[in-house]
Amino acid sequence: MHILNNASRRLFLRQAGVMSALVGSAAPLALNLAALGSASAQTAGGYKALVCLFFFGGNDSFHMVLPTDAASWAAYTATRNQAPDPISLLLPGTAPVVTAAAGSPARLGGVLPIAPANPQGRGYALHPLMGGLQGLFNTDKRLAIVPNVGPLVMPTTKAQYGQSSHPKPAQLFSHNDQQSTWQSLRPEGATRGWGGRLGDLLASSNTQPVFTAISAAGNAVFLAGDTVKQYQISTSGAIPLGVDSSGRVYGSADVGAALHRLASSSRSTHPFDADTAAVARRAIDAEQLLRTALRAPNDPAFGTAPASGAYNPNNDPKLRYNNPITGAAAFNSLAQQFQVVARMVDAGLRGATGVQRQVFFVSLGGFDSHDGQNTALADLYARINHAMLYFDSTLGALSARAQVTTFTASDFGRTFTSNGDGTDHGWGSHHFVMGGAVNGGDLYGRFPTLAMKNANNSNFDGSPDQLGNGSLLPGSSVDQLGATLGRWFGASDTQLAGIFPNLANFNPAQRNLGFMQA
Amino acid sequence: MQPTTFIPHPGRKSWVTTRLALALAAALLTACGGAGESSTAQATDAADATGTARAQAATDSRASAAESLATDAATGAKGTKVMTRELASRFLTQATFGPTEAERDRLIRQGYVAWINGQLVLPASSHRAWWEMRDAAIRAADPNASAGQDQVFESFWKQALTGEDQLRQRMVFALSQIFVISAVDGSIGNQPRAMAAWLDMLGDKGFTTYRELLEAVSLHPMMGLYLSHLRNQKADLTTGRVPDENYGREILQLLSIGVAQLNLDGTPVLANGSPVDTYRPADISGMAQVFTGFSWACPAAPASANCFNNGSSGGVSDPDRYIKPMVAYPQFHTTTAKSFLGVTIPAQNPANPAASLKVALDTLDAHPNTAPFISRQLIQRLVTSNPSPAYVRAVAEVFVNNGRGVRGDLKEVVKAILLHSEARQRSDTSGKLREPVLRLSAYLRAFAHTSDTGFFRVGNTDSPASSLGQTPLRSPSVFNFYRPGYVAPGTQMAAAGLVAPEMQLFNETSVSGWVNFMRDNVTSGVGQFNGTVNGVVLNRRDLRRDDAAEMALAAQPADLVNRVFDRLLSGQPSAALNTEIKTAVGTIVVPALNATGSNLAQVDAAKRNRVNAALLLTLASPEYLAQK
Repeated sequence: MHILNNASRRLFLRQAGVMSALVGSAAPLALNLAALGSASAQTAGGYKALVCLFFFGGNDSFHMVLPTDAASWAAYTATRNQAPDPISLLLPGTAPVVTAAAGSPARLGGVLPIAPANPQGRGYALHPLMGGLQGLFNTDKRLAIVPNVGPLVMPTTKAQYGQSSHPKPAQLFSHNDQQSTWQSLRPEGATRGWGGRLGDLLASSNTQPVFTAISAAGNAVFLAGDTVKQYQISTSGAIPLGVDSSGRVYGSADVGAALHRLASSSRSTHPFDADTAAVARRAIDAEQLLRTALRAPNDPAFGTAPASGAYNPNNDPKLRYNNPITGAAAFNSLAQQFQVVARMVDAGLRGATGVQRQVFFVSLGGFDSHDGQNTALADLYARINHAMLYFDSTLGALSARAQVTTFTASDFGRTFTSNGDGTDHGWGSHHFVMGGAVNGGDLYGRFPTLAMKNANNSNFDGSPDQLGNGSLLPGSSVDQLGATLGRWFGASDTQLAGIFPNLANFNPAQRNLGFMQA
Repeated sequence: MQPTTFIPHPGRKSWVTTRLALALAAALLTACGGAGESSTAQATDAADATGTARAQAATDSRASAAESLATDAATGAKGTKVMTRELASRFLTQATFGPTEAERDRLIRQGYVAWINGQLVLPASSHRAWWEMRDAAIRAADPNASAGQDQVFESFWKQALTGEDQLRQRMVFALSQIFVISAVDGSIGNQPRAMAAWLDMLGDKGFTTYRELLEAVSLHPMMGLYLSHLRNQKADLTTGRVPDENYGREILQLLSIGVAQLNLDGTPVLANGSPVDTYRPADISGMAQVFTGFSWACPAAPASANCFNNGSSGGVSDPDRYIKPMVAYPQFHTTTAKSFLGVTIPAQNPANPAASLKVALDTLDAHPNTAPFISRQLIQRLVTSNPSPAYVRAVAEVFVNNGRGVRGDLKEVVKAILLHSEARQRSDTSGKLREPVLRLSAYLRAFAHTSDTGFFRVGNTDSPASSLGQTPLRSPSVFNFYRPGYVAPGTQMAAAGLVAPEMQLFNETSVSGWVNFMRDNVTSGVGQFNGTVNGVVLNRRDLRRDDAAEMALAAQPADLVNRVFDRLLSGQPSAALNTEIKTAVGTIVVPALNATGSNLAQVDAAKRNRVNAALLLTLASPEYLAQK
């Protein structure tokens, strides 16, 4: 059978490749862990958590953080005020027209001014539904903005972008590949992300490694490390696998025990069996620990106890936001993701989960606004504003703001041009960093120049920062963003260089973007 | 005896030897377990003279151990002589929504080839007709009500569980995960009748050619809504508005050629060790210009701009506009030259959307990537996550030419997929995780369920924590529930270089959710709750299992477990698992029936617990979670 001979030969070669790759990377990892053992005890400074809030679909940050100086605003309005459904927001101070269509710029009213400490000679504003974040930026100084960040191999000019010889990230503009690149610095197929790798290096003090990297939003390569595996928790907390609180199934403890035994063990040589069993094993073990470690979601720290009956998160006022399209209060699933993260942080702070360093992943989808952008983004931004504020205030109640840093990420930014009611795939975009350890109230990185579209093509010659259809050429890289966060998290320069492969291509003075307190 | 969970790579052993070894191992294991039902079905098709003749011819040609499809197809026919119940189950796990006793008997009687040929000529059952029938009934009962997404799911499950056209419906499900629309998007979810029509379109075109399918997909208003090329307009050079590039991009990345150049065997073309892009941003812009000027079917089309923008003119619209193919509106179509993938459509005067579309779709159909790109994904949906390059090539060759000069013949493609020797062989790299919907469907077919209402009210199964974490036509995005190249971090699969798309849905929450969901399904039935049906107070879930046969075996755990294994594990008999479950089931004490029979309820309850435990423990096992 030539086919299977080929298959087995192929498998052998792959395994051999994996083996040699492991030999290559395992040694430095072991050294790093050993070196860290003593260092971390001195410098870790207690519990810290890093939270990635991912906007799936590619967020149009032109619609979220807006330069309001005259030239920028003129370019923005001219480019985006297109029939049939203009997506150009209105100047600060514009009164909302209550009779205008839900989600439309007129209905929303003017954008909300923000005042960065170093405004780079320009004015700025946030989307009209981000009033809470405006306060976090202007007043509380717990929100920073990193303008125009995206995957880069090395600093890249507009001229260099046009050169095929200049190194660029693979599969730009492609959803799945850029989601992967933001999370792992490689396109789809990557098996370890920088959140998980930070966990590898810094989790040596975690006595329960299973709780190092936690997703409240399904599978995320961001959380996968060499040794760290992501634990995917339900937004309501860990759920038991099959058994009741006494370990029984159908009234039988023997059947319950057999269920856990056989679901979590493999009896064959097929890797699929071993891998599904390993997931079940983690589910069982983690649930048994979290059953007592997590405080209930209706604890006043996280939610609202119902007047009667069982807690239903959908009805918890703390988890409900004002839907700008319907005008009614509605459940915010993103807030519930933050709720379970807050419960995990709380358990971590109390020492109930045996962790000093945790990386979390939460997400919101629906950002691929090729059409219907006004209503889609109005609703999503209202959810973001509500959920981030909920998380900030919950952490405040836990006195944990300085120990938890939340940053946003997304597939890519979008085109500056409009297709009539939406935008297409771009590259660089503006992002938020939130927390008590953040140097809030400022921009970290040069805010890009927004130009008028050329008369005869879409190349935006008036801006060194804009490519075809006005997409942004990133001024800062994901490597720099991640390294700045990683340094706060406790990683050394050497460790950061290992995790962020492109960092060495950037000027040493710019490898730390400066938005975290020292 | 030592269990033989898998037959290892056969190395130089001949196909016949391996096949006999498989049959023998299965027979021995079944015999050890003491199953009441025969494990082989010898010579049940003596009357099938055609099959026998083909089989004889195949025996001769196989002496050369050729890998050709002709040989494999014939092997299937020959398989009628040695096909075990386990082998039949394994095939049906790939080709249907799960083995049933009737289908297994039919397959054993007919052989692989005749069974497939029979399926290919069965008429499609219409999901839209079901939805409309239900909608009429719901409206008759309550003028303010109407059918919704639930009735689409009813139709899906009714066909999956009871439909005769199993291969076609399984193909529909596979295609719905390559050509993705999702009701998670309100513009799709609010049109349940058109969702049903979309399934019908996949069923109708899924057994024609890829080119026909791609055109039907591209012009379907549901795809037009989902990927927003419906009412997409040419650029406005004055204002700077540009065409929407959504469909122009995704038709390249997901529906035809993918991002990297491929060899016919599906492996990437490498230049200096790196993959080679199939397209650049300029190609997407060119393709996006093709998909301008298509919008609603409308009585006043194509002249009316209102029809283009809103689907109606003067208050008149086409009630089937969500179902009928989009029509071309030349005044909104790009007239400048459109270039993509090395092809240029010259400037047009007047605009000719149909001509542009034909060039674009012909180009994609003929692209060297398309055959391996689509073939490999169909193999992954039906048979195995990790087909060898030879397997992909063999199927892609059929895609390129069905032997009669036709390209993209999807009937021949699916036949090639199922009959290839690698599909019919088990190894430590073969198979796939069962996706959640197929886990449930296999259970519901293996142990026949009846629907109290006749509607198969399974409903929405989105929640990973309390249900399947997967509902047909409700993937999170156009990238489906999982990606064909997904490598699960930190796993043995990854270390072995194996992808596992379905593993993208498999996590600590969803595995617990699955077990809890099935724990309750096994005891309480499946699906939505019915109060009163036709005047009868039921107060129970819609789908009920007839467990009389299993109850009759409850006193003999060994027989009970063997029966469950025979129906659920399709030839993966694991002695260790068998012992574990048999022992656990045996710990449930069944009291002796007393002389007066007054404890009958307790006796039955204990027996039922045994049956339910045997089912749940099997359904929760890694052995069930992967089809191999």
